[in-house]
Amino acid sequence: MAVLPELGLVRSSDLDEVLAAVGHDYAPYAGGTELVPATGLGLRRPAVIVDLKRVDALKGIEVDAGAGSVTIGAAVTHRRLSDHPVVREHLPTLAAAASHVGNARVRSTGTVGGNLCFAEPRSDLGCVLLALGATADVRSATGARTLGIDELIVGAFETSLAEDEILTTVTVPFEPAGMSYWKLQSYERPTLGVALVVSDSQWEVTVGAATERPTRIVLAAGDTAGLADFVGGLELSDDMTGPPDYKRSVLRAHLQRALGAAA
Amino acid sequence: MLVPVRLTVAELLRDRLGLTGTKVSCEMQVCGVCTVLVDGDPVSSCATLACDLDGTEVLTVEGLARGRDLHPVQEAFMDANALQCGFCTPGFIMMAVALLDAHPDADQAEVREWMDGNLCRCTGYDPIETAVTVAASRLAAATAEDGQ
Repeated sequence: MAVLPELGLVRSSDLDEVLAAVGHDYAPYAGGTELVPATGLGLRRPAVIVDLKRVDALKGIEVDAGAGSVTIGAAVTHRRLSDHPVVREHLPTLAAAASHVGNARVRSTGTVGGNLCFAEPRSDLGCVLLALGATADVRSATGARTLGIDELIVGAFETSLAEDEILTTVTVPFEPAGMSYWKLQSYERPTLGVALVVSDSQWEVTVGAATERPTRIVLAAGDTAGLADFVGGLELSDDMTGPPDYKRSVLRAHLQRALGAAA
Repeated sequence: MLVPVRLTVAELLRDRLGLTGTKVSCEMQVCGVCTVLVDGDPVSSCATLACDLDGTEVLTVEGLARGRDLHPVQEAFMDANALQCGFCTPGFIMMAVALLDAHPDADQAEVREWMDGNLCRCTGYDPIETAVTVAASRLAAATAEDGQ
């Protein structure tokens, strides 16, 4: 077995204490589904891991009926997200996507915050949350800011978080009518994910997994030329699940079925 | 028990406690041979740190049988011929136990969704699906009997 390097541990149930600890070489740690294997492979070399999963402030799921949104703690696991009645009621597409992340073990331990902040392109949650117009609440010991999902995830495996910042919560507006999420997947991670919000007047299309980061466009309903330009212009990944042309043709076929329009 | 932070649950079980029923293979959370239950939830013991077990209850394949009586899931795996080389079997059995504890009435879609993260290179999966389904119906029958 690969032996992990020596690690220190900071563990606290207090948000301020973990915020004071996080920094260079002091890596935020929750489910460990990405960090532990990456550390075993030598891709990440934290000196100390800062355990976030005992911080109650990072584990809430709260509904704000007035604002019409659900606030989800960064240390909420995929299983808790998918099973939670509030999420199932107000964010059914997100709940369904979370119930299919990785495998049953990843869903037991992997967290919403870990998924977003590892910024693995082949992710379902980033795509669905961008489509929902979610915002990310970010804290450090000295400040707080709120980012759109496309401001948080800025590239493949890349976020805009500073070393001393952590994602604390994600605030998600209630799911609009006409939303769907579909993915193509034959391995542990999705090959292509497509979130749609379709109304009489608009097509909102968000493409993930095959792109470096989730990518969204809002078109007038029926704008097939605009849709074709968007699909044709996407830079799609070339990996063991297929070349860009293959992924583009699958994307076109899905959009054609879902929107009844040639892309 | 005091453990270094870098020790994984699989290393704790196999190397320190001599519980070698839990296997290790991919170390990427893909194959599932290392599956154990922590407070009832299935986890990859190769990618979970032992320090996180503090205050939890861990169940491994060694903890399923009661004396000489195998767990109903173990019996069902034997009856359905759901194993050949056996290397993946402890992981499949632990995943099936986790599923049936959480969803005793799991349908075929749920069985597939939960077992989907465990790999078997011998059986072709059909006998495994049968075993989990058989175990589910036996457990349901036993529960109904207890209730009478």
